[in-house]
Amino acid sequence: MTPESPAAPNRFTLELIKGALNAARSEMEALIARAAMSPFIREKKDYFTAFLNRDGELVVSTSLTLAGNLVDAILEEYPAETMRPGDLYWYNDVYGVGGAVSHLPDMVFVMPVFHEGRLFAFAEAWGHLWDIGGSVPGSISPHAVSVFQEGIMIPPVRVMREGVENREVVRIFMRNSRFPDMLRGDLKAIMAACQLGARRLTETVERHGVEVVEAAFEAMLTETEGALRSEVAARIPDGEYAFRDRIDSDAVTDRSYFVDVVLRKANGALEMDFSASDRQADGPINFLMDDSVPKFMLGLWMCMDRPGIGMNGGFERAVESVVKKPGTLVAPRFPAPLGLRSHTMIRVTSALFGTLAQATGGRASAAPSVYVLYYLRGRNADGTEPLCIEGLSVGFGARTFADGIDAVYYVAQENYPIEFAEMEFGVEIEAFGIHRDSGGAGRWRGGCGIVRDVRVLSDEARFGIRLDNCRQPAFGVHGGLAGAPGRVIVNPDGPEPWDIATMSDGTRLAKGDLVRIVTPGGGGWGSPADRPAGDVLADVLDGFVSEEAAARDYGVVLAGGGVDREATLARRAAMPRPSGMFHRGRYYDAGEDRMDAAPAAVSASARAGTG
Amino acid sequence: MIARHALSLDVGGTFTDVILADRAGGALHVAKSPSVPSAPADGFFGGVDRMLDRSGVDPADVATVLHGSTIVTNAILEGKGARTGLVTTKGFRHVLEIGRAEIPRAANLFSWVKPRRPVPARYIFEVPGRIRLDGTEAAPLDEAAVEAAAEAIRGAGLGAVAVVLLHSYANRAHERRVGEILRAGLPDVEIALSVDVLPVFREYERTVATALNASVQPVVRRYIGRLSAGLAGRAVEAPLLLMKSNGGACLPEEAARGAVHLALSGPAAGALGAAWLGRAAGIDDLLTIDMGGTSADVALVRNGQPALSTAGRVGEHPLAFPMIDIHTIGAGGGSVATVTEQGAIRVGPESAGADPGPACYGKGGERPTVSDANLVLGRIPPALLDGEVALAPAAAETAIARHVAEPLGMDLIAAARGIVDLVNANMTGALKVMSVERGLDPRDFALAAFGGAGPVHGAELMRELRASRLLVPRFPGILCAIGLLATDLRYDFAVTRLQRAGAFDAAATEAVFAELTHEADRRLEANGVPPERRRFRRSADMRYEKQGVELTVPCGGPITGNALAALVADFHALHDRLYTFCEPDGPVEIVNQRVEAAGLTDRFALPELPAASSERPEPSGERLACFDGHALRPAPTYRRESLLAGHAVEGPAIVDQLDSTTVLLPGQTALTDRYGNLLISEGGP
Repeated sequence: MTPESPAAPNRFTLELIKGALNAARSEMEALIARAAMSPFIREKKDYFTAFLNRDGELVVSTSLTLAGNLVDAILEEYPAETMRPGDLYWYNDVYGVGGAVSHLPDMVFVMPVFHEGRLFAFAEAWGHLWDIGGSVPGSISPHAVSVFQEGIMIPPVRVMREGVENREVVRIFMRNSRFPDMLRGDLKAIMAACQLGARRLTETVERHGVEVVEAAFEAMLTETEGALRSEVAARIPDGEYAFRDRIDSDAVTDRSYFVDVVLRKANGALEMDFSASDRQADGPINFLMDDSVPKFMLGLWMCMDRPGIGMNGGFERAVESVVKKPGTLVAPRFPAPLGLRSHTMIRVTSALFGTLAQATGGRASAAPSVYVLYYLRGRNADGTEPLCIEGLSVGFGARTFADGIDAVYYVAQENYPIEFAEMEFGVEIEAFGIHRDSGGAGRWRGGCGIVRDVRVLSDEARFGIRLDNCRQPAFGVHGGLAGAPGRVIVNPDGPEPWDIATMSDGTRLAKGDLVRIVTPGGGGWGSPADRPAGDVLADVLDGFVSEEAAARDYGVVLAGGGVDREATLARRAAMPRPSGMFHRGRYYDAGEDRMDAAPAAVSASARAGTG
Repeated sequence: MIARHALSLDVGGTFTDVILADRAGGALHVAKSPSVPSAPADGFFGGVDRMLDRSGVDPADVATVLHGSTIVTNAILEGKGARTGLVTTKGFRHVLEIGRAEIPRAANLFSWVKPRRPVPARYIFEVPGRIRLDGTEAAPLDEAAVEAAAEAIRGAGLGAVAVVLLHSYANRAHERRVGEILRAGLPDVEIALSVDVLPVFREYERTVATALNASVQPVVRRYIGRLSAGLAGRAVEAPLLLMKSNGGACLPEEAARGAVHLALSGPAAGALGAAWLGRAAGIDDLLTIDMGGTSADVALVRNGQPALSTAGRVGEHPLAFPMIDIHTIGAGGGSVATVTEQGAIRVGPESAGADPGPACYGKGGERPTVSDANLVLGRIPPALLDGEVALAPAAAETAIARHVAEPLGMDLIAAARGIVDLVNANMTGALKVMSVERGLDPRDFALAAFGGAGPVHGAELMRELRASRLLVPRFPGILCAIGLLATDLRYDFAVTRLQRAGAFDAAATEAVFAELTHEADRRLEANGVPPERRRFRRSADMRYEKQGVELTVPCGGPITGNALAALVADFHALHDRLYTFCEPDGPVEIVNQRVEAAGLTDRFALPELPAASSERPEPSGERLACFDGHALRPAPTYRRESLLAGHAVEGPAIVDQLDSTTVLLPGQTALTDRYGNLLISEGGP
């Protein structure tokens, strides 16, 4: 018999506790999905759940790299010794909590969990609430220049004391929404999920004992930390690796912004230094980045092949420091707007991949593109105002072991079926397909974006969009080419097609106008000349790559529906080899701030005025 | 002579279970024969021949042949359907490829790879022509383009083609016309139209269902051709009925046309069997777990009927028509316990399968499995199938010692106990998905545990979930074959007809129901079901305005204004029950209308056991076994055949039988009911 020592629960007990926590989290998420009212939560499934230890470290959680350090800001206001069982705390105040969440619609709820009067853990849930006030319906606008335009700010408050709801604070909040009924359902669902999580955690403690459960928390953190540390030790040599990636614009001005990261490893210690990043933006792409975010990204990439290693605070422990400079894009000063922070968040990912590519001789993913949202606010003569908000998918970066994901939005968020969109949004979708040749060519191809043709059926409409990677397409790595940019064209097949700026709002459209939204692809990985000709042929046959691009980018010559072997051999022999680690427009190496010439304005509407 | 026997065959991956049931007398003959995965019809007839041979029943005395098959499941999961093409609306060639654009919630976004679609885009052909949302024609069908597609399909040598046009549920004309042109031009190619397979909105899900249907149509057609010929050759004149995922059966021609409906044929029969035994025992609400060699299937029975869902999946593919709601996990007797380099332990989903099987089978398996752990813990006997298969306890001990106990620095019993605890936790998780995650409290349910391995673990699962009781069927290993005996013919008809809040049209609603019912009636007529045996049930899929989630609400008929008001009230109540809230003033829409048609078959009476003359049965012996904690203790063993109606057994105890073993924990009591089921509860008799 193996004695159960609190310091080291045996492996089976550890797995049982891990399983119980994950089952409890899954139950919390199922409850949110069932009980929430808004489409953002019920269909888009934009929510997150976690358990944290008494120090506020994540122990188990959804694998989304958007936030962290969820508890400290609460403890500052409400010291642990003042908390009681049944308390529930709430906030969304991004600046007030130092980036624990990263834009206002994400409402965080945290419940302390006690055993015999001692606080030993927290149950947490957050969800994206659909309208929390602000300057436009839905609260997020590409045109925001201050966080005050993006909705109400809730500093850490105690929304429940010993199980009794503080209705006053909830009423004040509701009064600020255009859709209070929906919010009520969502709030109720998320709060109930926290209570459920706390109950399940208590049951786990009753079964295994609090010392064993706390020791299991620590073992899970240590295990994750150890996994990342050993991957880093094996794959990243000591040294300094710098990379800079660019965002098209901040939607308010036409200026491009960059994220800069230096990855330093010395004597086994790892530092991620973002201090050379661009100044904070005028528009809402600012990302008040918690230190955990780039650490979680690194951990998820480096430990993907380690079964059973979950995203938790162990990844944070494994990276010694994250450096940011106040007033920059990743550490903006209050009250810079934040609504489109995912544009910068995804560039943090790609810049990090840029440093890893240098550290590992190219063994890192190529860049993903940023998911797209568009807003079509219709108005009819009869006074009805159909509102269409759709998320659109893009291409992700090619991996070292697989093509990039084609036509993908993000984790756990589904698109609207055409037959649903046409029912609900006052539009007709006339085409929906793969954006051919948008995935960067490579040994592994970047994911392709999509093309969606949207016909305006209302008498008039205003159009807004957030479409990045148009001026700065997703870069390729280790010989792979960059993805193709996105674009928005009105009446593309008419006599006078015209472009809408890709980060803009308020463009006027008339009944019958057709808007073609073309989304960008991901970067490719490895030399395109190394992609098996059969795979290139398959891509041509399936509409991902054109015959011209097969010859031009891959050196694969097709004839009679098959590969012309000889012509392909000759053409591939004559292809120039990659002349830099990265590619965007041409091959380049890190240290060069590769910025493409702007093909079109991205932030000002090209025609028909702006709103 | 009136034929009176039902012949039931459940063909699984390893074994074919066969039952011959005498409808009049209630006698049951039971047999097990090996399946032949490479030639499924051979396995089927191996079972038929063995049964006819052993029972001596005249083939002419077989009134009906019932069959559950994994042929469609395997064809889908292994991608072994026909090479399939798809004809779709111009502009929408990549709908299937794009899908719903999400990375699954539990996945690592950096490593996830999109699953392969059932039809590659090279075989997807666009045809101009467009039906609008409301069914009006925006552009006429380009028939020349359809001809060209037919030519290309012929050129590519495809065996099947699916037709899915945008909004075809609102106006079937274009899709039907495409079907006609393809049939004329491609006489040897199987064709499936989405308006026949799934005429409801959501183009991606409709396309997946239709494409999969087309791809498995030829597989099923060939298979049932062999079955029909083989049955005729054996002078079995009885009709062949195939089990569908919805818990009903269909005739062979329907099975070929709606082939994808056989996707959950086997597990659906298990849930149906458990529901039947539950009803007989007076238990209407059950959680069921069918634990076999490689996986465990969990389902839910409410009010005596298996729960259905339109959000089911087979592998990675969504199948959006009514199917018995089944959640499958990789937990079975053959699930392998692995200690990773980093010292983490996991059990399953990898399985030792039937070959080499667990280490204790002595067929060369060296890695420890759940069965090995159960053997080391004395929970299963040292020989299976009544001594036909001797187990090798030493091999089980060696496997667990070498691969689990030593790497983790613990003793053999603790390691074996840990393996059992982990697989139990995995199954408890699956049972919670089916209950708490659907807003149901397991304490309001009894648990039915079956499959060869289910009864070994059932008592622990029941205790863990605090389920009210545990039902272990008299023949746990062949419950799917029993379930087949309880099936009726069943067909589901549905169509999308959107009605906005405040604009419901009772007459139009009634007309749609009448049309669906007429279609359903014709189908039953064609199946030879006499009118007095036809049953129709109506329901409507409804939602709150702006929500993308519909609920299916049963409704009576005929539809009047009052009936619609009642329907809306029922929707609010159902929403409240399932989703914890409702909005009584919220605008409600009707989206789809459904008619479920049943053709009732002859009922078979469950055979009953003689009553026991004493309260206590005689133990068959004693075995050292682990029930709870980490210690082995001696406990009485019983032969299942010796348990008669009314017998009570107190735990700890073990009940051995041909196809399974039931473990009874200390503090639990098992009562044998008149049908031979064990009803286990906490506490004394």
